[in-house]
Amino acid sequence: MAVDISISVQAEGFDPGAEYTQLRRENYSDGATSMFVGNVRDFSPKASLDAPGVSASETGEHLPVTVLKLEHYPGMAEAALTEIARQAADRWPLGRIRIIHRYGPLNAGDEIVFVGATSAHRQDSLDACAFIMDFLKSRAPFWKKEFSGEGEHGTWVQARTSDEDALEKW
Amino acid sequence: MIKVLFFASLREQLGCDALDVDAGQIASVADLRSSLQAKGEVWNAALSHQQLQVAVNQQLANTEADVKDGDEVAFFPPVTGG
Repeated sequence: MAVDISISVQAEGFDPGAEYTQLRRENYSDGATSMFVGNVRDFSPKASLDAPGVSASETGEHLPVTVLKLEHYPGMAEAALTEIARQAADRWPLGRIRIIHRYGPLNAGDEIVFVGATSAHRQDSLDACAFIMDFLKSRAPFWKKEFSGEGEHGTWVQARTSDEDALEKW
Repeated sequence: MIKVLFFASLREQLGCDALDVDAGQIASVADLRSSLQAKGEVWNAALSHQQLQVAVNQQLANTEADVKDGDEVAFFPPVTGG
């Protein structure tokens, strides 16, 4: 049976509870629903030049973030997310896949991304969510810029090699 | 014409989000990049960046990828969504 794939790239917020309800609506064959929500942090992990790979929580160096602006490539963003969802659908026996990615200015705490998948058994939907997030991080055309105060020019978030490395396990 | 797009930090460095390039002498992404680099020092530096990514008609591609009249080619830094 074809996997039901739904992709949204939007400025508006979303309700994870409503998305869960939608994933479950008249879905009686899937006993597992896995979901991931990504939110805007109120700090930026300041990379340590002396010890790359050591996280900010370990060094204690944090820069405050009040606003995050997400730029995207309209058209390609939707296409890339659809392609990632199709790859997950080819790989695991899933019922439904839902991906939402926001763009525009977001505040600390706001939802950025939602990934949900349903399957008959839990491991398939859990793996599919992790797979989709890993590929989304390195393949979907979105870029984050962090702002820590009024009138500030902002700092583009740098891609992390750990994100690219994460793809190797798949 | 080839429609060329720039995103994120690259767009800011170039002060340009889109332009049309005559497809005449261009057969690949590498050709297109070379012709853009010839526009000046800022363009040369920004488009020389090793980690630059490229998409042809909204699909990730490499520098050897074919480019023809009517294509949309986008250059951008490594993505940081999610």
